[in-house]
Amino acid sequence: MTAVESPTWVPPTWDQVVREHADRVYRLAYRLSGNRADAEDLTQETFVRVFRSLAQYEPGTFEGWLHRITTNLFLDMVRRRQRIRFDALPEDAGDRLAGTDPGPEQAYHEMHLDPEIEAALDALPPDFRVAVVLCDLEQLSYEEIAATLGIKVGTVRSRIHRGRVMLREALAHRAPGVRPVEPGITTEAIAG
Amino acid sequence: MSSQHLSDEAVAAFADGVLSGHARDRAVRHVNACAECREAVRVQREAAWALRSAERPQLPGDLLDRLRTVPMTTPITTLPTAVAPDGTTMLSTVAPVAALVPDQPRRSHRGRPYITTAAIVALAGALAAGSVAHHSSSPQPGTGRVIGHTTPRSGPEPAMVNQVGLLWRVAQP
Repeated sequence: MTAVESPTWVPPTWDQVVREHADRVYRLAYRLSGNRADAEDLTQETFVRVFRSLAQYEPGTFEGWLHRITTNLFLDMVRRRQRIRFDALPEDAGDRLAGTDPGPEQAYHEMHLDPEIEAALDALPPDFRVAVVLCDLEQLSYEEIAATLGIKVGTVRSRIHRGRVMLREALAHRAPGVRPVEPGITTEAIAG
Repeated sequence: MSSQHLSDEAVAAFADGVLSGHARDRAVRHVNACAECREAVRVQREAAWALRSAERPQLPGDLLDRLRTVPMTTPITTLPTAVAPDGTTMLSTVAPVAALVPDQPRRSHRGRPYITTAAIVALAGALAAGSVAHHSSSPQPGTGRVIGHTTPRSGPEPAMVNQVGLLWRVAQP
């Protein structure tokens, strides 16, 4: 008997939805965007979308749905900004763009968790960044990432591979000390 | 070199320990014999480890508060709403009840007989409102069976109802 067939099943309240998922969404948003201001905007927008489109929710995992919305919003945001950057800008564009930057006060509160890693992630092309973040930070399987992004598993693997190579290069250049203790490649390390 | 180098995809998968069977055996043999691929695997792991060791961002408390008030701050005009012939206002509350039900098999249009008239009105309104971000081409009444279990409101309701707790109110006694 599924939950819905049970007469005692009570749907979650909005408050429960928020409490259960806000952490995860914010974490993903932060790691994708690399800063608190964008992470907050993405998180807020994700929940607005969730609220508006619950009717369109297709049965599956709620987490997967949230990952998809957050990731798509992030990619939309990046593409929008790229368009702004590449389009011919009117003369006052500099002022208007400057207005979107965090002010000194806000910047003071920006706690970049690990500046080197954030910077390295930020330097990745968005598609690679998304794949790497979903894999290494959110610990999604290749199949879950493929479903989230609507791409093939092979593409996921190759983006992860390329993203990590770039990440490793960036980290080695910026801070050689971040090299983790590497146990070495042994067959034992791989077993499991 | 006795065997071919690992592909980029195989290097990533091997580093993540998700290869199995023959593919894994071949990768193990090759990596043990090939310094180049061994190095490639090491790079993958170092990058992954660097990321995984990064601190977890903490959800700001004020953001949590803002998320809680999304139903109050999201304009009702953007919500799918419809008015039934008898004046009953159907909010998006009907479908969302179905929406959070895990793993219900989707139904085709043939599932409609299970849907209450009011629910169809609500869904029609949802589609007509055009406010839905991810408009899907799949049949929307697909969640009909689930919706059929909810109890649509029976009395007239003002269009601008209290938006707090709006989501699930329909299904509650």
